[in-house]
Amino acid sequence: MAGVIEPYLAALRRDLAFDPELARRMTDEVEAHLWDAAEADPTWPSSEAERHAVERFGLAREIAAQFATDAVHRQARRTWIALLATLAVTFLAMRLRVMWLSDSGDGLSGLAPLIDRYAFIASMAVATIGWFIFRRSLLPLALCLGALAASIAAGIVRAGLFAGGAPTHVLLAAAGEIALSGLLLFHVVGLGRSLRRTALLRRPG
Amino acid sequence: MLKGHLDAIVLAALESGPAHGYAIIEAIKTRSGGTFVLPEGTIYPALHRLEQGGLLSSTWTTPASGRRRRVYALTRNGAARLADGRKAWSRFAKAVESSLEGGRAWPA
Repeated sequence: MAGVIEPYLAALRRDLAFDPELARRMTDEVEAHLWDAAEADPTWPSSEAERHAVERFGLAREIAAQFATDAVHRQARRTWIALLATLAVTFLAMRLRVMWLSDSGDGLSGLAPLIDRYAFIASMAVATIGWFIFRRSLLPLALCLGALAASIAAGIVRAGLFAGGAPTHVLLAAAGEIALSGLLLFHVVGLGRSLRRTALLRRPG
Repeated sequence: MLKGHLDAIVLAALESGPAHGYAIIEAIKTRSGGTFVLPEGTIYPALHRLEQGGLLSSTWTTPASGRRRRVYALTRNGAARLADGRKAWSRFAKAVESSLEGGRAWPA
């Protein structure tokens, strides 16, 4: 019977491919563990001893799924931090617009202050509910991102950024909220990818 | 049930000194009198998580026998977390024992 440790390590490396550095490190570490376990087996030296060591270690896919779950938790934490930062800067930018810009206007310009304010309030509400109930779910974060994008877009219209009429600090705050919402989008996409990967690893078969 | 306490059990296994993954698993088996027999691979995500949380540190070592291994050690934060975990577990265990025995209320 052929050795089973090498094929097991190859399977572990493949299942951990989402994080190449972790895959390399774990393969080296697990290899030492499996040879130690095989050598301690009463049937050593034999392929039976290798098989026992691999069986006691557990399925490569399940171990990779545990690593993937931890990665989801870390990514969710990063995404929530990005969301809090985006909310804080969007709030600041909104307050600056309230203080420095006139709320009067027609058509879209008249609607913009309302969208700016209420989309932000909606994102705050969704973030609060999401934090307490769905902390590791993508939905509240995606909804917050959508509401913040609406608020920021309305803010841009309101500040007349394209007309170049707003004071510098209002423009800087708007640039900050745009940059942070880009960072938030990056993290939301990363969390989605991380959740999909974990689901695939946890799927039977 | 064991899963919820795995991190504390791993920290406790490292209290007596640095060790590699296989030695940690063996220490857990020995300390629990053979009661805790978990799939050995489950220790590695826990070790990785504890290291990322700053509760463990690790380095590669190559002993005279020649096999390269990653050795884990408790950090100061890890030792503090273990002490907190012990206190919390002791309170919980006393409360459960009191409840199951149906004797005098705890604390007496």
